[in-house]
Amino acid sequence: MDFTSFVGPFVPEILLLGGTLLIFLLDVLGLRRNEWLSTVAVTAVVLALLSVLGDLGFGPLSVLATLSPGQIDTLPAFGSAPLYHFTSLGLVFQAIFLLSALLVTLASASRPSDEPGAPIFYGLLLLATLGMLLVAVASDLIFLLLAIEVVSIPSYLLVGYRRRETRSMEAAMKFFIIGALSTVLSFYGASLLFGAYGTTNLFLIQADASTVGFPVLVLLGYGFLVAGLAFKVTLVPFHAWAVDVYDGAPSDVSAFLAGGTKKIGLFAFFLVFLGPVLLVNTAAAGQSPFGGGAVDLGPTLSITLGVLAVVTMTVGNVLALLQKEMKRMLAYSSISQAGYMLIGITIGTAPALTGATLQIFAHVLMKGGAFLVVAGVGALGIGPLIDDWKGFGVRRPLTGAAFALMLLSLAGVPLTVGFVSKFILFSAAVQAEGWFIWLAVAGLLNSALSVFYYARVLKVMYFDRPGPLETAEGTAAAASAPALGAGGLGYGRAVAIGLAAVLIVGVGLYPQPVVGAIQMAAQHFVSAGV
Amino acid sequence: MTALPVAWFLALSGALLAVGIFGLLTRRNFILILIAVEIAMNATILNFVYFAAFATSGTGLSGQAIAVVLIGFAATEVAVGLAIVLGLNRLKGSINVAQANELKE
Repeated sequence: MDFTSFVGPFVPEILLLGGTLLIFLLDVLGLRRNEWLSTVAVTAVVLALLSVLGDLGFGPLSVLATLSPGQIDTLPAFGSAPLYHFTSLGLVFQAIFLLSALLVTLASASRPSDEPGAPIFYGLLLLATLGMLLVAVASDLIFLLLAIEVVSIPSYLLVGYRRRETRSMEAAMKFFIIGALSTVLSFYGASLLFGAYGTTNLFLIQADASTVGFPVLVLLGYGFLVAGLAFKVTLVPFHAWAVDVYDGAPSDVSAFLAGGTKKIGLFAFFLVFLGPVLLVNTAAAGQSPFGGGAVDLGPTLSITLGVLAVVTMTVGNVLALLQKEMKRMLAYSSISQAGYMLIGITIGTAPALTGATLQIFAHVLMKGGAFLVVAGVGALGIGPLIDDWKGFGVRRPLTGAAFALMLLSLAGVPLTVGFVSKFILFSAAVQAEGWFIWLAVAGLLNSALSVFYYARVLKVMYFDRPGPLETAEGTAAAASAPALGAGGLGYGRAVAIGLAAVLIVGVGLYPQPVVGAIQMAAQHFVSAGV
Repeated sequence: MTALPVAWFLALSGALLAVGIFGLLTRRNFILILIAVEIAMNATILNFVYFAAFATSGTGLSGQAIAVVLIGFAATEVAVGLAIVLGLNRLKGSINVAQANELKE
C-alpha cells in the first residue's frame, strides 16, 4: 500500500481536523470574532465536501478526486482485520453529514460577532463532523463505537455551550446521562460479541453470523447493541430524551443533532445489522434462534427492527399531533422520521437502502432547515408556541415559503425530495413481499397522519390573522433585536435556508443524479457487505 | 489447575453492569451518576480482558488492547461529565438531577 492510497481517502478528515485546530489556535490568540471563526469552519467543511463529492465522481468535481471512482470499493484493506474500509455508500453518507455541518456553520455565520463561546461552538462542531466521517468508513465494531463517541462527546458540550442558560445546561445534562447509558449498553454488547466470535471485525463477524458456538452470547450481544444504538437514533422506547434535548439546546445545535448526528446511529445500523439480516432474507434458513450450535439471527433481528420501526413512527406522529410548541413538534416529527429510515434496514435490499439513504439526505435538508428557520425567527419576535407563528407566511413571504416547503417535504408531498424518498422506500417494501408489505402500509398510514400536524402549522402561518397582542409584542422584540441583513435573518442564515429549500425542490423535481449515485452505492454495499 | 468456567466471569460483569445501570437510573446526585457510569464501563472492560484470555485462537492481544483504549475513553467521558456538573453547579448551586426541571417532561 503506497502513501497516496493510504492518506488520499482521508483528505476530508484531515481538512476538518486542521480547521478544528486552527479555530482553537485563534481562540488562544484572542481572535474570537464570529465572522473569522465561521469563515474558517465554512471553508473547512466546503473543502471537505468538495473532496468527498470529487471522490464519488460527481461531474466536474472529479478533478479534485484523490481516488478514481472505481477505486473506492476496491481499495486494499489494511491488514487482515481492517479497522476501516472505504465504500461508496460510506462516501455518500460522508457527503450527507458534511451537508448538515455546512448548513449549520453557514447559518451560524450570521450570529453577533462578539458572541461568547463561538470558538467552542465551531471547534466542537468540526470535531463532531470529523467523528461522523469516521463512522462512515468503520469496519470494526470498536472503531465504530469509538467514532460514535467522537461525535457524542462534543455534542454533549455543544448542547450546553451557552453556559449562562439554564435550559441549555439542563438539556446537556440529560443528554449526557442518556448518552452515557447508550454508550455503556452498546460497548457491553460489543464485548459479548467479541466473546462469541473472538473478533470485533465486522467482516469476520458477518461471515460467521449464521453459526457460532455461543448462541446466547450472540443474541444478548446484538440485543444490547440494538438498545444502545436505538438511543442514538431515538427509536421509540428509547426516545424520551430527544424532545427535551432538541427543545433545550440552542436551535442551531438542534439542527445539527436532528439533521446530522442522529444519522450516525442509522449508518451504524447499516454496518452492524445488514450482514445478519441479509443472510436471512437471501438464504431463508429456518432454525430456532435458541437451538443448538447453529443460530439464525436474521428473523429475530429483522422482526425486532421492523416492530421498532412501526412503533417509532406511530408514537412519534401521535405525540407530534399533541404538541403546542414548534421545537417540540419538530422533535417528535424527527422521531417518527427515524422509523421510516429503519424500514430500509429491516428490509435490507438495495432499493430499500436507496430509499433509506435518500430519506436521510432529505431529512438533513427538511429538519435541519426547519430548525435553522426556528433559530432565526427567534430574533424576529416569534415565540416558542406554534400559535406565535400566526400570519408569518404573509409577513415574511420568502422565509415563510421556505419553511412551508420544508414542512410539505416532511409530509411527503409530491415534487419535493421527501416524496421521492418515501416513494422509493415504500415501493421497495412492496417489492420485497412477505410481511414487509405491512411496513409499507404502516408507513403510508403514518404519512397520512403526519399531514395533520404539518397542515396545522401551514394554516396558522397563512390563514390565521395575528391578534393585536402578538403583533405588539412582536414589533417590540423585533425592534430590540440587533439589525441583521436579509430581512433580520442575517445573510449566512438566509443562504443556508435558501440552499436547503433549493435542494428540496431541485432533487424533488430532478432526482436522477442523486438517486442514481445512491443506488449504485447501495447496490455495491449490499453485494459486498460492510 | 482447574480454570473457572466462563459463566462465573459473565455473572460478575453482568452484576457490575446491573449495578451501574441501576445507579445511573436511580441516583439523584450527578457525581454518583458519574460513578455509576464508571462501574458499568468496567463491566465491559472486564469482559474484553477475560474473553481475550479464554479465547482459544486468533484474538492475540486485541482484547487487552481494546480494554486499555476503553479505560482512556471512560476517563474522557467522565471528564466531560464533570465539566457539565461544574457548569450546572455554577448556575443553580446544586448538582441534584431532580432539581433540573426547567424542561417539561
